[in-house]
Amino acid sequence: MSGYAMAAAWWVPALLTCLTARGISPRLGLAAWLTAIASALGAAAAALQFLVKAAVAGWSSLAEVVCRSVAGHACAPTVYQNAALEFTLGGVALVAGLGAAAAAWRLGRNAARAQRQTHAHAMAVRITGRKLPGGDDAAVVLEAPQPVAYCLAGRPATIVVTTAALDLLLPAQLDAVLAHERAHLSSRHHLLIALTRGLAVVFPAVPLFSRGADSVSRLAEMCADDAAARRSGRGTLITALLTMATGVAMPVPALGASACAVTLRVQRLMEAPGRGRHARYCLALAIVMILLALAPAAGALAGR
Amino acid sequence: MRGFGDLEAVIMHRVWGHAAPVTVRELFDELARERAIAYTTVMTTMDNLYRKGWLTRVKEGKAYRYTATASREEYSARLMREALDDGGDTQAVLSHFVAQMDGEESEMLRAVVRRLAQRRSG
Repeated sequence: MSGYAMAAAWWVPALLTCLTARGISPRLGLAAWLTAIASALGAAAAALQFLVKAAVAGWSSLAEVVCRSVAGHACAPTVYQNAALEFTLGGVALVAGLGAAAAAWRLGRNAARAQRQTHAHAMAVRITGRKLPGGDDAAVVLEAPQPVAYCLAGRPATIVVTTAALDLLLPAQLDAVLAHERAHLSSRHHLLIALTRGLAVVFPAVPLFSRGADSVSRLAEMCADDAAARRSGRGTLITALLTMATGVAMPVPALGASACAVTLRVQRLMEAPGRGRHARYCLALAIVMILLALAPAAGALAGR
Repeated sequence: MRGFGDLEAVIMHRVWGHAAPVTVRELFDELARERAIAYTTVMTTMDNLYRKGWLTRVKEGKAYRYTATASREEYSARLMREALDDGGDTQAVLSHFVAQMDGEESEMLRAVVRRLAQRRSG
């Protein structure tokens, strides 16, 4: 069971990425990734516990064996075989146990360091920046030429917006940006992102963790986007996103058909499939065309 | 702790506003005009700011004269560098509203946006 779950840590990520990449239901996607990660960790812990128990049992019976031979009783060969197995088991359990302890220690230390850095950054921002006029207590304006907005979890929570961003964004768009960041804070996304990133750093070889970190980040952004869109409307949020990404101020238009068409074209160009996928797609389409072309002839033959 | 953080911001704001080094007494006099505050509170806060590296001080008789270690702009720039640090050592900022992209991607996006704007007006 544990072996199966740990093997799943390798193929599950591909499946989850496929299912959650489009972000149709980001909250469910987040839950799916977190469930997968939790069960993988649970399986690892269970396996470790089993190993340790077996090793302990092994060592105690080994001790009994040694005692018996010292006491001078004839030992059966099977006992020696068992002893070898128990040695190995004990060694593996020791290594695994040490590895787990080291990993846990690294995770904890990295998390503490990250938390300190975030806190220090937040404190510095609150001193260096100015309170956003009319904004809630959390929003702080930092003077900078780059249009940037981000949030910092903690006590107190902080949302940072630069003067460049304020210059570019219309009031409604700024509202959308702040709503997006506030959604991150209220949903405590920083915990999820920090956890998955922490795991990815300590276990870089496990795809579940490395892909998980990327996916969780992206899905969290989508969740926050949904919250902001509910409040400010999708059009406003889209122009806010584009403004912040390009540094070009944009009005808030209604989304027209031509805008959607151009967006689809851009998306298609950006997601150009690899050669293998392209070949498979062409082959499938060709087969369908041939079948469609032959169908009338086949029907005629059958009719005869 | 929240209160102290705000006072630190207020004090730094004042120190940056002053062209010359200031004493605790001078700053306290200014602040006391606007709010009920104890002298010791101002002194402790400025001492904390000194220990955290925001202020340097020079002894003048019995008192200290404080100056900011760097201008507000320099601190802003430093904080921006830290926030935009691309997956480097610092993990202060976990997510941005828009992920930082390199110049080429940004330019491509700008081209798309311009095309969108043209189609609407054309």
